[in-house]
Amino acid sequence: MKPSIYENSRDVFLDTVNAKDYIQLERISMIYQALKDSIEKPLKMVLLYGKPGTGKSMFLSKLYEDIASRQDTYLYKTPVLDESEFFKTLAQDLYGIKYDGELNFTQFMKVVENRDLKEAAVPIIMLDEAQLYSTPMMEKIRLLSDTRKVKFVIALHKTEKEDIIAKEHFQTRIWESIKLQNASSSELKIYIQKKLMKANCVDTASMFTSKSIQKVHKLTEGNYRETNKLIYTLFDIYLYYAQNSPNKIKKSEISTKIIEMAAIHTGLINA
Amino acid sequence: MLNVNELENRYKKYKLKSYTPFFATLLGVAVATIAVSFFLLYDFDSKRDLKSKQIVQKQEIKKEDYNASIIALQSDETNKEDNQTEEIVQEMPIIEEEVQTIDEKVLLSPSLDFIKNIKPQAPTIKEETIKTLVAVEQKREALPQKKESNAEKKDEILPPVIEEVKESITPVEKSSSIDIKRRDEEDDIKHVIKRFNINHNPALSLFVAKKYYQLEDYEQAYNYALATNELNNDIEASWIIFSKSLVKLGKKEMAIQTLREYIKQSNSSQAKQLLDEILSGKFR
Repeated sequence: MKPSIYENSRDVFLDTVNAKDYIQLERISMIYQALKDSIEKPLKMVLLYGKPGTGKSMFLSKLYEDIASRQDTYLYKTPVLDESEFFKTLAQDLYGIKYDGELNFTQFMKVVENRDLKEAAVPIIMLDEAQLYSTPMMEKIRLLSDTRKVKFVIALHKTEKEDIIAKEHFQTRIWESIKLQNASSSELKIYIQKKLMKANCVDTASMFTSKSIQKVHKLTEGNYRETNKLIYTLFDIYLYYAQNSPNKIKKSEISTKIIEMAAIHTGLINA
Repeated sequence: MLNVNELENRYKKYKLKSYTPFFATLLGVAVATIAVSFFLLYDFDSKRDLKSKQIVQKQEIKKEDYNASIIALQSDETNKEDNQTEEIVQEMPIIEEEVQTIDEKVLLSPSLDFIKNIKPQAPTIKEETIKTLVAVEQKREALPQKKESNAEKKDEILPPVIEEVKESITPVEKSSSIDIKRRDEEDDIKHVIKRFNINHNPALSLFVAKKYYQLEDYEQAYNYALATNELNNDIEASWIIFSKSLVKLGKKEMAIQTLREYIKQSNSSQAKQLLDEILSGKFR
């Protein structure tokens, strides 16, 4: 096996959010379909939440790519934390109005309310990392959604301590909440192998046995981001051995030792 | 670029660390298993039996040792050592049999060296034997002191064991395996004299008198018998030795007179017998 195969395999797992890298898994497909359906419903807000690394950003990217062509959709991957800047950005994107000076919430609300949506569909605003917005800002977003002239899809982290749904600005809204979770062991196997096969790395994809997948799952708990990091480092180590001491690696299956070495390097194992 | 060598070292340390609890648990389980199996499988009863057997054995050996010493002493006195030797020869196999049985039953037995020591020592009278005898005599002496007021029991004062042993003595010549050797008798006597000078025990002076008589030192025998009589004038054996010593020293008349006086006082049959023997010329 040429060292380049490990290099290619490694690069597959670079932690980037790209809709092209989206992997269709049965459960994820169902959730994605539910999200798509909720977009078409007359809802004011759709909440997408889950732990970091469960694929929220990927979901939003995929959704944006799927619906942007037929519906007025705007994706904000990084939050615009300044209030005036936020409203100015929305005014520019939604209505093509450029403001040089300050634009406060009251001014922007007037702009939104004066819009006639009889001919045009409700524009969709997708906000990733929405947990970074302040509570007053979230209240203003809620008030904007109440006008039914704009629809929000909000992706945010759910931590163990806080109950997002219990927050005041989500309580009284008509919304759909979709929770994303870590992958199971079998899902993780499909995820890894599909990802590799997509990049024509069939040989390395076949190296992942159930045993090695279980080891990876045990270490990452099925978290996609952690898995990407681990497998990236794993193939980096394989690449090193292939270039320097090829006798140390088995080509038939992924070595548990190298999985653990990768886990030590990524901090999943505290050694 | 990854530093794989450093990563390998970290991996080795991690594996070592991860195996530590496993080894610790394994060690703990092994120790626990050994401890439990020891308590479950170890035969405490047999050990207890062994201990009790050993105690019995020790007692028997002590008894035997004591008996042997008494027998030896008495045999010296009566010149009938043969019986004693036979008795010891009879008792020795019993001890050996017991030792063998114990060895077969229990592997973890304490040292039985003392038995080896007994084999050559049993027929030989050593200093320890004399000490034992003296100790026994001391005990016996204590008994009559308590009962001095009781005149009826005076006859019981003399050691009955000595009398019994006399009868069981068999000739030494018949025993081919054991010889009774008497060594350091002078030292023994000196040792007893030393003790007598300290506590003025008539049993000790009587013992010395007898010893000197056996060694044909009749003057010393006379002196110690006289000393014994002065301390306690009711000891028959002392008067006998006293009289015999007088005869041997050529003071036959004095011996006869002494015996007559004593017979009047005690009505001793032994004294009468000795008197008859002196008068008839049997004892010279």
